[in-house]
Amino acid sequence: MIAFLRSGFSTRRSRNGLWGVPLVIVVLLVAVLTLATEQFATRENLFNLVAQAMPLLIAAIGQLFVIIVGGLDLSVGSVISFSTAILSLDAPAVVLIPAVFVLAGLVGLINGLVITRLNVHPIIATLAMQYILLGITRILRPVSGGDIPQIIISAVQGSFLGLPMPVFWGVIAIGLAAKLLYGTRFGLHLFGIGGGVAAGMEDAARNFGIRVDRNIVLAYVACSLFAALAGVFLAGRIVSGDPNVGLLFELDAITAAAIGGTQLSGGVGSLHGTVLGAVILALLANGMNMANISPFVQTAIKGGLLLAIVGLQSRKKMGL
Amino acid sequence: MNPVLRRLAAVPPAYYVFALLLLVLWIARPNMLNPNVLGIFVRQVVPLGILVLGQLLVMRVRSIDLSGGGVILLINYIITSRTFPEASGLMFILMALAIGGAVGLLNGYMVAKRRVSAVIVTLAVSIILVGLVQFLSSGKPPGDVPKYMNEIFDIKYGPLPLPVLFWLGCTALMWLALQRSVYGRYVEAVGENAEAAAFSGVPVERTVVAAHVLAGLIAAVAALVQTGSIAVGSVRVGLDLPILAVAATILGGVVFGRGEGGVWGPFFGVLSFALLFVVMTVFGIDDPGKLIAQGVIILMAAILYGWRSKRG
Repeated sequence: MIAFLRSGFSTRRSRNGLWGVPLVIVVLLVAVLTLATEQFATRENLFNLVAQAMPLLIAAIGQLFVIIVGGLDLSVGSVISFSTAILSLDAPAVVLIPAVFVLAGLVGLINGLVITRLNVHPIIATLAMQYILLGITRILRPVSGGDIPQIIISAVQGSFLGLPMPVFWGVIAIGLAAKLLYGTRFGLHLFGIGGGVAAGMEDAARNFGIRVDRNIVLAYVACSLFAALAGVFLAGRIVSGDPNVGLLFELDAITAAAIGGTQLSGGVGSLHGTVLGAVILALLANGMNMANISPFVQTAIKGGLLLAIVGLQSRKKMGL
Repeated sequence: MNPVLRRLAAVPPAYYVFALLLLVLWIARPNMLNPNVLGIFVRQVVPLGILVLGQLLVMRVRSIDLSGGGVILLINYIITSRTFPEASGLMFILMALAIGGAVGLLNGYMVAKRRVSAVIVTLAVSIILVGLVQFLSSGKPPGDVPKYMNEIFDIKYGPLPLPVLFWLGCTALMWLALQRSVYGRYVEAVGENAEAAAFSGVPVERTVVAAHVLAGLIAAVAALVQTGSIAVGSVRVGLDLPILAVAATILGGVVFGRGEGGVWGPFFGVLSFALLFVVMTVFGIDDPGKLIAQGVIILMAAILYGWRSKRG
């Protein structure tokens, strides 16, 4: 246990990154907020906090998959908006819910294939996808509205065993990602591919017999599927389809992963760090809301935070 | 591959797209093809055309600048909000250049010295600037643009609007700078292979920092022109320009590190977008359709280059 905790503060010989620092930040933030405000430590606020944090947490976990292989997915926000728009269409839930995940999987598949087979830079490919998908979403639902299937609303807003439903969404998302990243060959191969990319040896993983292209494509599919899950959750929360609800979500997701010690050059990152990163962003938002800080300033502060965090992670490569 | 085909594939896609759109317009609405109408449409994309000059510079050194939207928004806010009621036109120009230069320096420092992902840095900078402007203005349109700015923007010489001539001049200047100056050679060397350039004594980091500073200054110029083109300030103006600039640059045959398209390829990339907006308006395609078309164009241009670079 001690050795595991210590590894969170060392940049050496660990593919997990500096996740100990965000852990300390979370503890400090919780302590400060509890002491400084009376509202923070209430049952109501904590339940609210979990529900607010969940979409970002799920989207950040998805983003982690592609960041590990040295990629980036800027279409996450559009996938989220698109998912809420699909769910608000006039059709039974048994059709809509599978449709969301099939379509999102398709988006990830296209992203992955364009990047690996057609040799397009991930940022350009997913940026183009962001635009195309946003356009389609605005055709489906020009302004927010429509009805969301009741089953999703109950699955998001209700409670079970005395705990609010969002907690279970988090447990399922984290459990699924933990299994994929740490319990399968797929996860191991992702770290292998990313480590090679970060070291400037793109062929390293291929030389060890890893099917690089296929694993990268699957990472983008996973990212889109998690984004869709975040979209489904958000739809249940806002109870309508909204073409703008996912705006800038991809950047928050990247910020969360980066705060959690994930390095954008690939190969280094961890699920627990990313979860901590999302929790930090949620705690900050919660604290700033209680302090009545304008949402515009909050956006600016998040941008500054992202800049500061990535500024501290030095890498070899210059450019994109 | 057949040598003729290879030659044809080497022409930046912007020229083909431009010709195709011209043909579509000629068939669908021949009466639109007169200099006065086209002059007005081309005038609208001048801010984009100027921004592209900065974008192609940073893209040639394998970087990217998405902060132009924030720079344009902030400068537009400062001019229209009357925060400085006494300021003259020259003061505004100096302020704009100072803002653009400072943002470019920050971008350049983070990208070249701190080695941070250029996309993340410039997007974060843009978000900070947009958040700042929206906070200062509480999300409401700030105020009117000084009249003389609109008047300068409206000057015409025959069918040629002054902004279009200005854009042509700026593009020619950038072309000369890249062709003739030592700095232009540095840009080419860094784009081709940064490591080899460093070993041959090219100041790689400084070249990249300078590219970002220049891109920031150019964004400030684009902001001034954009401000002249509208009567009332806005808190949304210019936000989609950086991404369009990336698209036009790629369309014009300049991709990360490679500059076959020169400056005239991206120039025609911007003209293609001007025509695209005309065609879309003619056919009654609204905003969602435009978003999809932009995405598809970025993707197609990038795929074309990816495919070519894979084949050597």
